[in-house]
Amino acid sequence: MSLNRLVLFSKSVRCKNLLTPLIGQFRSVTTIQSQRSFRTYARNLVYAKDLFLGKVNKAEVFPYPEIDKEELEEIKQFVGPVEKFFNEDVDSKRIDHEAKIPSETLNGLKELGLFGMQVPEEYGGLGLSNTMYARLGEIISLDGSIAVTLAAHQAIGLKGILIAGNEQQKAKYLPKLAAGQHVAAFCLTEPGSGSDAASIQTRATLTEDGKHFLINGSKIWISNGGLADIFTVFARTEVVDKDGQKKNKITAFIVEREFGGVTNGAPEDKLGIRGSNTCEVVFDNTKVPIENVIGEVGGGFKVAMNILNSGRFSMGGACAGMIKKLIELTSEYAGTRKQFNKSLSEFGMIQEKFATMALNAFVMESMAYLTAGMMDRPGMPDCSVEAAMVKVFSSEGAWICVSEALQVLGGLGYVKNYPFERFLRDCRILLIFEGTNEILRMYIALTGMQYAGKILTGKIKEMKKGNVGVVLQMLGKKVRESVSSTVDLGLTGNDGVVHPSLADSAKKFEENVYYFGTTVESLLYRYGKTIVDEQLVLKRVADVLINLYAMTAVLSRASRSISIGLRNHDHEVLLANTFCSDAYFKNNFLMAQLQKNAPENNDDSMKKIAKEVLEKRAYICSHPLERTF
Amino acid sequence: MNCARRLARITIRGFAPYATVTARESAKCLNPYGSGVQTLRAFHAGFGHLKDQSVSRGDGHPRHEGSLVTHDSLFEQAAVEARTKAMFNRVLEVFVRKDIRRRGHVEFIYAALRKMPEFGVERDITVYNKLLDVFPKEVFVPRNFIQRMFNHYPRQQECAVQLLEQMENYGILPNVETKVLLVQIFGEKSHPMRKYQRLMYWFPKFKHTNPYPVPQDLPQDPLDLARLSLTRVAADPDACVTVYQMPSTDVSETIVADVSLPYVVGIQSPEQRSLLAKHNASRPVFVEGPFPLWLRKTCVYYYVLRADPVPPEEKVQEPVDPERSFFYPLELDLDLERDLGDDDSFDVDEVEEGPIFAMCMASRGDQATLAKWIAGLQQTNPVLGRAPTLFRLESVSREIQRAGESEPGAEPGLEEEPPHRQAMKQ
Repeated sequence: MSLNRLVLFSKSVRCKNLLTPLIGQFRSVTTIQSQRSFRTYARNLVYAKDLFLGKVNKAEVFPYPEIDKEELEEIKQFVGPVEKFFNEDVDSKRIDHEAKIPSETLNGLKELGLFGMQVPEEYGGLGLSNTMYARLGEIISLDGSIAVTLAAHQAIGLKGILIAGNEQQKAKYLPKLAAGQHVAAFCLTEPGSGSDAASIQTRATLTEDGKHFLINGSKIWISNGGLADIFTVFARTEVVDKDGQKKNKITAFIVEREFGGVTNGAPEDKLGIRGSNTCEVVFDNTKVPIENVIGEVGGGFKVAMNILNSGRFSMGGACAGMIKKLIELTSEYAGTRKQFNKSLSEFGMIQEKFATMALNAFVMESMAYLTAGMMDRPGMPDCSVEAAMVKVFSSEGAWICVSEALQVLGGLGYVKNYPFERFLRDCRILLIFEGTNEILRMYIALTGMQYAGKILTGKIKEMKKGNVGVVLQMLGKKVRESVSSTVDLGLTGNDGVVHPSLADSAKKFEENVYYFGTTVESLLYRYGKTIVDEQLVLKRVADVLINLYAMTAVLSRASRSISIGLRNHDHEVLLANTFCSDAYFKNNFLMAQLQKNAPENNDDSMKKIAKEVLEKRAYICSHPLERTF
Repeated sequence: MNCARRLARITIRGFAPYATVTARESAKCLNPYGSGVQTLRAFHAGFGHLKDQSVSRGDGHPRHEGSLVTHDSLFEQAAVEARTKAMFNRVLEVFVRKDIRRRGHVEFIYAALRKMPEFGVERDITVYNKLLDVFPKEVFVPRNFIQRMFNHYPRQQECAVQLLEQMENYGILPNVETKVLLVQIFGEKSHPMRKYQRLMYWFPKFKHTNPYPVPQDLPQDPLDLARLSLTRVAADPDACVTVYQMPSTDVSETIVADVSLPYVVGIQSPEQRSLLAKHNASRPVFVEGPFPLWLRKTCVYYYVLRADPVPPEEKVQEPVDPERSFFYPLELDLDLERDLGDDDSFDVDEVEEGPIFAMCMASRGDQATLAKWIAGLQQTNPVLGRAPTLFRLESVSREIQRAGESEPGAEPGLEEEPPHRQAMKQ
């Protein structure tokens, strides 16, 4: 009881702290949004990074972030019509079959304002916060093609102007983009360059009058490439740096199709998201005025990084929305289909699949809204690691869930008469775009390692030198830990933030966090900065961290639900406890693998297998039917 | 009976060691007649064997003289007609049909084994089986424990072992037919059978030990051979072979050798190309060679384009551009090195060699021919136009050349010597 009150209290304190000054000045919710650029203090959110040190920065994630009543009302007003539109006016089957979104559907989307969800109201957008954007994303994701078209337009396409553009650029381009009159596209990838900026070939050269750039080069796999009127293009420019040396640096440009010299190839024929337009875009002596440089000349790399980092969190909501829909569709089938006088829903293996789907949806949702809530806090907090974790977890979860749903349906899932195979095809791209999951795992692990390394360097160096004091301190700590046997990071107990019904899970989480901290320390001790080359180690580190963050999200969310008495909160507690115990064992296994000479760790063998296969570029085993005599 | 008469005749000839064998052979002729006689004969045979062994240790091979001559001449007569498999088989058939007792088959088989390469059948398993078939069946199979204990019909067994050994030397794996024959001739636990089992145990195991197998029959066309050799030396699936000059002979001229264009075939991988592009043009590149490459019994020569190792003062460790990866940091800004306990690298003294930029093979190794190769390379590697090219060509020792050429199956003409090579020791 006291804990409940405590949670509520701390929440109200936070709300007062954060929102009171704002609400005092502006009445409506959307103005809070536009006020987000009102930077009172730059707070650096380091929740995920702190986990690398074995610390839980509980103030950041407890209580679960929530929006106030007016915002909730407003979002509900948005959600209703959008949901209606997607249920009635969007024919996903046709979009998929014809590989084109019909113009009336596009017009409908424009009328709903979905082309400018995050564009501030002053530029004609909806000015939604990240949380509200994620909420709408849940519905939009019911059609993969539309979701990708909209995301390419506003999550990356116009994001450059939004976050790095100057006032003139914003005023010139955002209103038309928000209204959907113009469609935006993001042109980064090139035939020879995926994530490697060094191999970008597109060039921008300054004209003699110094007022224009001429852009030459081709960009591939550009979503909306055929529809777009405004392109965010990244090209190499010659920049003279401080020492007077000429250097090739990347610059971001706003390019209008009307500038001329912009052509695009035929749309690619894709596996999924077939309705979205993906094609090659070629720039041939496209003349771009110098005012259209986003940020400064040579500063394109940061712009690109920021755009890519900012868009990822929304995938959690989108995937959760899709899985929730899938659960509805498949559970109906499981309840009606009878085999051996039993409905499918009575078979254990089918039940397990539904539990998996529910768990995944619950975790994704929790992670997505926790992250969105953190990003909505004042001070433009850097949540890129958290957002990357949401992306990795939800894209992989979605793939598993869609596959499981298909399995429940058996043959029905495999035919084109039903939407399930389309869901499967559509969601495969989630693991690939916006940074592949492999690359994001590297990002997640390395960012944390860098943070932890900075702090631990001194201590590790002392240990390596054989400083008796430090070693004794370490030993003492180890002895104390082994005696006390439980780890207490303050989530439960007197000033705890987790509801008692989740106390066991919280304990597991704390134990995981503590051992994660020691694991990271030993990894840094062992590998130092060469850990960059240990991709399999980093993959496990990232996996543990993703699990930890997911545990945090579900603990926080379920605690809030049970404390304020949301409907079916007992189910949430069940889901949270189940997920936490599952993740706990997975983490323990992963961390055991990370220990030195762990028998669970097969990395060396795996690398050797891969090396032998890749040397020959083929599967090299003899056929089992082969013989030598 | 008959046997005793023959024994007497041979003893008169005074050819003692041979006598025992023939006696044993005649003994086996009697085998089918009855078990009573059989045991007696077998005992006799055992005795004979002991005697035979002591003799054979004494003087080795020359003991075959006399009867060998006739068997060799059988093959020589055949060889006059044609040295083919069919002819070889006919000789075997003639021998088998000539005498139902197959007198002198051991000598015949030794002779046949020696003649096999001449007839080009030394790698033919069916011929070996046919040769084994010359042994009379069942007579050498031990019938009791004493026979089994002692070396039963040692010369025959030794001969069969010799046959299997020749198969082994030529890398021919016995087959089921061989096994059936051996069982029929010598029984399950004879020495040839043991040899067979050892062959069958080890041969399959070693069959694929070479990770870079050379095809049994090398291509006849020198260009194809050059392609094969170059891809083998390069060992890079990305490397691409370019023919810089096709061989051609102007037949209208009287002196053909002077006007024939030598072929020039080169190989270069993209990695080598980028290495070459980074080469400092003020430093020379070297064309060196010829280096021998043995493909079974053929020796071919190749040339390399290389440079001296980059001196340490020119080696600049390019710092990783922090604005290189859009997604994750390529290196950590930490002051921590890898722990010694996790440093799995070996402490090896490494001698650095210069980079090799390309390789080529040409039918003539003179500078003019190789210059064509460099000219061809220059089209894709412009740096060659600026960097000085030095030719450091050596002559090949004639010994190697001969060894390559004298072997059957060697490519004639491939190892033809460049005119300017002097006789120099290797």
